[in-house]
Amino acid sequence: MRRLRIEVDYHRCVGSSICVLTAARTFALNEQGQSAVLDPAGDPLETVLEAAEGCPTMAITVFDADTGEQLFP
Amino acid sequence: MLVQDDLLAPDVVRDPYGYFARLRETDPVHWNDRWGGWLVTRYDDVVRAFRDPERLSSDRMAHFQQELTEHDRERLHVLIKYFSKWLVFTDPPYHTRVRMLVNKAFTPTSVERLRPRVRQIVHELLDAVEGRGHMEFVREFAFHLPVIVISEYLGVPPEDREAVKEWSDETSRIFFIRADDPTRRERSQAGLVKLLEYFEPLIHDRRRNPRDDLVSALVQAEERGDLLSHDELLATCTVLLFAGHETTTNLLANGLLALLQHRDQWELLRHDPSLNRSATEELLRYDGPVKATFRWAKVDVELGGKTVRAGDRMLLVLASANRDPEKFPDPDRVDITRNPNPHVAFGHGIHVCLGAPLARLEGQEAFAALVQRFPHMRLASDELEYHPTIVSRALAELHVEW
Repeated sequence: MRRLRIEVDYHRCVGSSICVLTAARTFALNEQGQSAVLDPAGDPLETVLEAAEGCPTMAITVFDADTGEQLFP
Repeated sequence: MLVQDDLLAPDVVRDPYGYFARLRETDPVHWNDRWGGWLVTRYDDVVRAFRDPERLSSDRMAHFQQELTEHDRERLHVLIKYFSKWLVFTDPPYHTRVRMLVNKAFTPTSVERLRPRVRQIVHELLDAVEGRGHMEFVREFAFHLPVIVISEYLGVPPEDREAVKEWSDETSRIFFIRADDPTRRERSQAGLVKLLEYFEPLIHDRRRNPRDDLVSALVQAEERGDLLSHDELLATCTVLLFAGHETTTNLLANGLLALLQHRDQWELLRHDPSLNRSATEELLRYDGPVKATFRWAKVDVELGGKTVRAGDRMLLVLASANRDPEKFPDPDRVDITRNPNPHVAFGHGIHVCLGAPLARLEGQEAFAALVQRFPHMRLASDELEYHPTIVSRALAELHVEW
């Protein structure tokens, strides 16, 4: 299975919670109310990509952890 | 210290930034007795409030109803019923369910597909006035662009646009508080009823003949039964249509004004069109379309050293947060290359503006086209008049020439 590396841009994240609601095993809100990666393997790839795409500010970038390929955006 | 407490005083309406800066420096969570609520003016406090939807409610209708007599509640029951289902006025879990349903249609990736069409509309509107040498920008451009874009996206045919815009403007009367209009509640309801009557057959049609538009997508969610009831579908159609109108108009007009008043920035954008994204963010920060937004405390909440009591209302002043020197270096300067620019012009947290990616796109395309096509554009009048409202930053007119 593909291993993922997920980055959240904290200048962009506005705490909409869309990612948490979409991929609840991958994302959680931190104490500041912004998105934090709980477990990059928490949800299937499609769910993680849906969460990243759902972000209203494009704060989430998803990479293939092994090849470094950027999967979103 | 004596603080001007009339939020609709002419000098406050003209220059809210100076007024709110004084509050931010002296009393950043300020009880305004005349208005009857708290004014929150520091960036950090505003963001903290936005991130606390469990304690700070957006349920405007619950509080609105309490202010009404039994007779008025009965008279305004349609307005109360549907506004109670508008995303902006709801809390989780309702808000979460409906937001997640419509979110996909408004993600940056989804709206990016509309860019060529938005660009085309921008140029068509500018074609119509180019030879004339002058225009009233609010009425001749900024009104039209958002209505055309959201109408096409929803599936409202061109021939119905004007009527729909009129009903939407009527509906808006209750929000953009025009204190001098005692009939605003009734007129607001009348406008909403027209919109509901309009959407009912449109929904019916899309149920039988689905198309590639937003109403069809929402109808499919309704048909699944557990996702969206019929009343929720109607309410959501009206709020989506409504929400992008006046706010995007203000974004465009305020942004153009700021560019014309800061010629170096105008030239900078003209020579480097790729700055249109960061320029739009900076114009939103510097003089955005919405000055403030409401919340109601469900329980006692400590904010900025004050105790906000359960039931108190508060205004989260975006216009002040976006000029907070603690967050933005040199905040009163327009710098279209500003980066990072974590402004709160679209709000923050779970209620962050759903249509923000679409509004951004419209701003980016409009500002880029304006500086390219009208390099010598200038203000035709120094007289600027703003509508006297608490929440919106709305120019009555913006006369320009080239």
